[in-house]
Amino acid sequence: MSVWRRSAAVALAVGLTLGTAALSRMPVRFAHKGDAMLRLSWKINGVTVEACRERSPEELAALPVHMRNPEACIGGIAPYVLEVTLDGATLPSDTVRARGARGDRPLFVLQDLPVRPGRHDVSVRFRALIPDGVEAPADGILELAWSGPLELAERDVALITLDGSARALQVRLP
Amino acid sequence: MMISEIFLRKDCLNFRPMRRLTRVLQKAARVALARLDAWFNALYTWRYNPLYHSGALVVACFLVLLATGLYLLLFYRIGSPYASVARITDQALTGRWIRTLHRYVSDLAVAAMLVHAVRMFVQGRSWGPRALAWVSGVVLAFVFFVCGWTGYVMVWDGQAHLLAAEGARLFDALPIFSEPISRAFIGDDAVPPAFFFLNLFAHIALPVGVALILWIHVSRLARSYLMPPKPLLWGMVGLFTAASVIWPMGMDAPADLLRLPGDVSLDLFYGFWLPASLSAGAGWVWLAFLAVMGASLAVPLFQRPPKEKAPLPSVVNARFCTGCEQCYHDCPYEAIDMVPRSDGRDGFVAWVNDTKCVSCGICSASCAPMGVGPPQRTGRDQISEVKAFLERARPGADDVVLVACANSAAGGDFFLDAPVYPVSCTGSLHTSVLEYLVRAGAGGVMVVACPPRDCWNREGVKWLEERVDNGREAELKPRVDRRRIRIVYAAEGESLRLAAELHAYRQDLTALDRAQGEDDIVIDVLCEVPEVSVAEEAAR
Repeated sequence: MSVWRRSAAVALAVGLTLGTAALSRMPVRFAHKGDAMLRLSWKINGVTVEACRERSPEELAALPVHMRNPEACIGGIAPYVLEVTLDGATLPSDTVRARGARGDRPLFVLQDLPVRPGRHDVSVRFRALIPDGVEAPADGILELAWSGPLELAERDVALITLDGSARALQVRLP
Repeated sequence: MMISEIFLRKDCLNFRPMRRLTRVLQKAARVALARLDAWFNALYTWRYNPLYHSGALVVACFLVLLATGLYLLLFYRIGSPYASVARITDQALTGRWIRTLHRYVSDLAVAAMLVHAVRMFVQGRSWGPRALAWVSGVVLAFVFFVCGWTGYVMVWDGQAHLLAAEGARLFDALPIFSEPISRAFIGDDAVPPAFFFLNLFAHIALPVGVALILWIHVSRLARSYLMPPKPLLWGMVGLFTAASVIWPMGMDAPADLLRLPGDVSLDLFYGFWLPASLSAGAGWVWLAFLAVMGASLAVPLFQRPPKEKAPLPSVVNARFCTGCEQCYHDCPYEAIDMVPRSDGRDGFVAWVNDTKCVSCGICSASCAPMGVGPPQRTGRDQISEVKAFLERARPGADDVVLVACANSAAGGDFFLDAPVYPVSCTGSLHTSVLEYLVRAGAGGVMVVACPPRDCWNREGVKWLEERVDNGREAELKPRVDRRRIRIVYAAEGESLRLAAELHAYRQDLTALDRAQGEDDIVIDVLCEVPEVSVAEEAAR
């Protein structure tokens, strides 16, 4: 093998190695829509709303013995509606339902809203949709709200989340 | 048109459009690969051409990854992933380059895997008995990729954040989790150590899966070839170690869940899909993934020839089989077993397992009595064919006949005025054919084989050399003048080199006496066995 060919072989091997190394650390700038982010994320156990009535003696007699509950209830975890206002503009509201095949799991909110860096006035309201005529339970979270100004730098994420102990929304900034 | 109607069309049932597309892709890739092979052969010779050793290189990379990974495992802490990797990177004498080598070699493994897959695709080695190797190869590549993914998440820097968050987003798109797992990476709480424990567990457990699938991948091969030649192996390790020392990986900024990832040192081998994934919806990513996986797994269906064109598996003519076991030893796919005879003769007879036979024809050439081989390609068929060839081409004492593998550089009826006698694989070429050509008076016979490491039937060239030069059954008989036979390797793209070899051979032949042809060549009769069995003979 000639010297030239040998040199070319070594050069190619080195080139391929360095090429692999270069592709292994390719500097990439991830441009994000809006360059900053308002993120809404929380989890709550929704309130259960039920419409109950007394069963008549005839109804009870028609049921098997082990199922003779004197009260018949229809209902479940109430859906919630999420309303966001950003710099005075109201974004389309979103209805959040309890997860799980039977709709009996907690509710989750997870939304990323791209925004421009700078100051923003944000208002978030998350409230249970209680049907008319149904009494709202006293112990659950019926409504969460947060509003205020947010100052975001480039690539900042403002996280609006639930403060579990205070049962209220709070904001976290970088 | 209703979807059901589309599927009921005959074209769709036969995958005809997909077969056509596969053929077009195969042809295009073959041209490109032939050119690349020729260049690499010119620089590294076929022995050390890394493109020929791509599969073995993946295994070598896997071993390097295990060795370097074990070292890194000693220092990794799931409670402080980023800090522990930073500590490893600060070890100037060991950790820094070992971590870098771990990363570079994992990338090389992906590249080598891709080359290996393209080569197998080009050579149509995906269907029939080889489908298991193809499908397990696709699964292997996927598991390897996921293993790399978990490895990058372990570092917990900007790239790790992206990979973890995007992975979670993709899984959230599936209706299987009641709680979105993306919430683990949005900054609500610190990412729990349990996540890093699970990730580390996956990163360690997946290589076990890789090893298991690799075993399945090569399970149908006799004498599977798992390591590249030493100069290539140590050259690769040396080069990548040098690159790791000279150009070590640094650390990106740690993952900050309340900051969007900005400038990231992205590993394109594992993160190539991230930019597209971030801009497209999770549904599109799943669709692309399913399309790629589906197409890859369906390649055996699309490459499989129609039933009437599919090569038939070898058959054994028990009358000629002496039970010598040579075909059993030579078969590269362990498709031949020796079973007790049922024809009254003593001993064993060869039996071909149709589900393993790829119809390579190597057994045809291993059988001295010419009693085994694919239909129309047994030794006896080859003798008939060479007779017809001699009638047609009438090579004279000044001619060199090229006996050429279908996948070598010699194609067509003539190559530089030399008549070409085509064979499907030189490994299936019975040495009696060479003897016949020489005794018929051809000036010389040049067997043009593809390079041994690129034999489409794995061991064809290896056995050919053994039979011609080292007396392996069915050996070339001593009465044949060896100077009139030469074996050369010329891959598909190496026509120029073949031309030079042919020229040199012609020069060498001028030093020999003029070839004398025999009028009445008797070869196949020598291979006849008695019509009656040994048991019958004994009874008489």
